[in-house]
Amino acid sequence: MAAPSTPLKNTLTGYIRYQGREGHYAFLLHRLTGLGTLLFLTIHILDTATVYFWPSLYEHAIAIYRHPVFMIGEIFLVFSVVYHGVNGLRIAVTDLWLPAKWGIKTQHSAVRATLGVSLVLWAPAAAWMFHSMLVHSFGINVFELIGLG
Amino acid sequence: MAQQRVEIKPGFEATAWRWMRYSGILLIPLAWFHVYLQDVFVGVHAIDINYVAARLDVLGWVLYDFFLLLFTFAHGMYGLRQVSFDFVHNEKTRRVLSILMLIFWLVVSVIGTIALFMGARPELA
Repeated sequence: MAAPSTPLKNTLTGYIRYQGREGHYAFLLHRLTGLGTLLFLTIHILDTATVYFWPSLYEHAIAIYRHPVFMIGEIFLVFSVVYHGVNGLRIAVTDLWLPAKWGIKTQHSAVRATLGVSLVLWAPAAAWMFHSMLVHSFGINVFELIGLG
Repeated sequence: MAQQRVEIKPGFEATAWRWMRYSGILLIPLAWFHVYLQDVFVGVHAIDINYVAARLDVLGWVLYDFFLLLFTFAHGMYGLRQVSFDFVHNEKTRRVLSILMLIFWLVVSVIGTIALFMGARPELA
């Protein structure tokens, strides 16, 4: 006998099987970036609050953020914040002022545009942060290597 | 293309729906400026408790961070509630989850607000 369907199972299979192309991917990416940002935000509020509540703990929190693995995570965090904002703007503007633009064709190109704009805004920041990680974690300074340092 | 007008029942959910859009638009400049300034230009290697103390000595930054804290965390927790309602359809469970998330939102917001207005204490680090 097949396992009984539950809201949890139905929703998860819907998330995967729904064939809405651009709209589907934008929906999934919006949720993923939103939840990821919320997770970091919660930790960030609490660890920053230690500057008042438990000052000796703050340097340990900062030491964790300086680890290269977390600096890579930070690069993805910046993408999440940028993408969630750009895609959220598409949703908010269409909902509030241009509801007639909720057509599939318009939205397919709008979704592609949000991804393009996000990547353009994110790429310089990502490169900068990645370089900062190379400098601080591995002592590699690209500007010095090419004689510009 | 055929369009259909739908009557929206006024109430908490309708207000929250609008509020998520307005707060989202406001958060674009607020959150992006914060992230590009702290994560990209300043960077985590230049941040320690003395940096935070100097920053929180400026009332303008305290107010900026206060609005950022209020809007981002409320927007995020309401978003979490929306996501959780996708997975939980039982009205009673939804109500329990909503109350738990409301309490969590309130506690974390209060902790963050106290720290912001009291400032850092590097002398105790």
